[in-house]
Amino acid sequence: MCTRLFGTCYLCFLLFTGAAAISFSANAQQDTSHHGNAQAVELYSPYTSISVTPGQTINYSISIINHSNSTKNVGLEADGIPRNWTHTLKSGGFDISRISVLPKKQENASLQLMVPLRVNRGYYHFTVRAGGYTTLPLTVIVSKQGTYKTDFSTAQANLEGASSTTFTFNAKLVNETADTALYALESQAPPGWMVAFKVNYSNQVASVNVAPNQTENITITVNAPDQVKAGTYQIPVFATTGSTTAGLNLSVVITGSYAMELSTPTGLLSSHITAGGEKDIALVVKNTGSAPLKNISLSSQTPADWSVAFSPAKIDEIEPGATSQVTAEVKASKEAIAGDYATTLTATTPETSSHTDFRISVRTSMLWGWIGVIIILLALLSVYYLFRKYGRR
Amino acid sequence: MRLNKDDRVIHPFWVMVYKEVSDQVRSWRFIILAGLMILTCTGSLYTSISNLSKIVKPDTAGNHLFFLKLFTSSNGTLPPFHVFIAFIGPLIGISLGFDAINSEQNGRTLSRIMAQPVHRDYLINAKFVASLIVISAMFLALNLLVIGVGTLTTGIPPTFEAFIRILAFLILSIVYVAFWLNLSILFSVRFRQAATSALTCVAIWIFFSVFYQIIVKLIAAAIVPQPGAAPTSQIISAEKWILGISRIMPGQLFSDATTTILVPSVRSLGPLTVEQVYGALPAPLPFGQSLLLVWPEVTGLIAATVICFAISYRLFMKREIRSR
Repeated sequence: MCTRLFGTCYLCFLLFTGAAAISFSANAQQDTSHHGNAQAVELYSPYTSISVTPGQTINYSISIINHSNSTKNVGLEADGIPRNWTHTLKSGGFDISRISVLPKKQENASLQLMVPLRVNRGYYHFTVRAGGYTTLPLTVIVSKQGTYKTDFSTAQANLEGASSTTFTFNAKLVNETADTALYALESQAPPGWMVAFKVNYSNQVASVNVAPNQTENITITVNAPDQVKAGTYQIPVFATTGSTTAGLNLSVVITGSYAMELSTPTGLLSSHITAGGEKDIALVVKNTGSAPLKNISLSSQTPADWSVAFSPAKIDEIEPGATSQVTAEVKASKEAIAGDYATTLTATTPETSSHTDFRISVRTSMLWGWIGVIIILLALLSVYYLFRKYGRR
Repeated sequence: MRLNKDDRVIHPFWVMVYKEVSDQVRSWRFIILAGLMILTCTGSLYTSISNLSKIVKPDTAGNHLFFLKLFTSSNGTLPPFHVFIAFIGPLIGISLGFDAINSEQNGRTLSRIMAQPVHRDYLINAKFVASLIVISAMFLALNLLVIGVGTLTTGIPPTFEAFIRILAFLILSIVYVAFWLNLSILFSVRFRQAATSALTCVAIWIFFSVFYQIIVKLIAAAIVPQPGAAPTSQIISAEKWILGISRIMPGQLFSDATTTILVPSVRSLGPLTVEQVYGALPAPLPFGQSLLLVWPEVTGLIAATVICFAISYRLFMKREIRSR
């Protein structure tokens, strides 16, 4: 009984002492690392707790200090880093796993740690271990919830101009996913609009390849149709992969252009006129702009003593793309000499004007020609009279 | 009367014309005149061809009528062709007609011809028609020579309008020479001595070509005010007066007409106001307009020619032609 009790006690003691011995030895080991071997090698980094956002890269500068009088060959490893975080340990330009430190000297190593985009908010602890000597506990605080998406954005999504303007938007396409993605670029512009994507000032592209966590600058040029009416137009553009889609809503404000064309229905810009006579020239005024033209007045620049009367003298309004007929009555000077004269007809609105140069050929009146013929006939008649009177003698 | 191969009766009038033409072309007078014409024609043709490359500039209006430059251009050493015609034309006309009637009369052949069964007016008509045929043939040959040599040297044939203008120039030259021919026939009817007739014609020719121009200049100096000293309208009306006076000269009429016909860019012969020139484009006139522009001159030339003929016809028909 007594021996059993003793035996039990002993066993308990053994257990106790064993546990104590284990705990002691563990403590002793900790002590040696802190006190015993700590005298030998020390790890040091200034920023032991860092707050970052997802996708950021942290560069730790770690100093390995040898306090002993002998050279220490230390194995270095990072422990406890989450699996999808990548890290590299470098010194002197190399990836290292061990480092040798001379007595009473220190070496520097850097730990590069990339925090992934898809990461939860919270505290992440890990340690850098100098094999058998010491450890350096480090803490990373991820300050916000990580994302896993594509970002397509522009600083200026609204441009204004006339319909002839080329609208240029500068957009950024950020691949915030873990993989390289091939984005198809497309737009849902209204019919007639031309949307072109350009990457790195290259030619027009239909798709773009973006590495993870990289940004691609995309230039989007938009050309409005010629006859587009004034107003605001929305042009959604998309960058699409198989898994993600990012959209951007561009908006273009067309102010409307003012242009017109003065011509004739046939396009013929020359005419004939008799000196002192009148001639009607049919004209066509066409609104080639995208805004309605109002109060169109017609004027002329003619040779001296010529006149041009327009009917109607004024056009109230012409819608975009529409035409209006005008008749110009040109009256030539009586003193005009035979040959070509230049006459400029101009249609003017407050916004724009159009002028057309006409070449008008002046023809002399046939009146004096006939009088000359009559004089010659009279002379010939007198000869005929003489023939009749004196001939056949 | 003569019969030809086809046994067709030739009208006696044409027999006389035929005889007159053969007399003309076989005479030394005509050979010398033709030689003179060919020389002057060759000379002016040479100067105009050697000068052609300098005159014709690319991309100027009216280049399709560059062929006319052969008739009007010159490098300054010799006058151009149409000026030569204006100068020598009267000489040809005078020399072909100044002894038409009086030499027959002095040679006592007139009464012999009249003894034939022909009308009296056939004689003067035949003289006129025969000389006209000779002149026409000569000028036609000269103009065709210019066209031919011009085509040969430049390699470009004349355009249709250029050809029409050359034809009009030819007709004008014939009418102009016909005027002097009729004038000399008139004097040959009027004066019994051929020398008197010839001298009178030459005197009129020299008067118009030298002295009349001096008189016109004197009148111009007297009546045309200095620019700026009088209103423009007054200067223009005075200028028009001077032009009107100088157009009594048949030579002036001819040179006005030929210049306008051969230089299509001439748009007016009188003084031009600034108002008329403003807005005018430098372009050649169409042929019809050029002709209409010089129609008064052409009318004057033709009418003067016809009137000269009418007077000489009447004088000849009413006179006593029996030999003394």
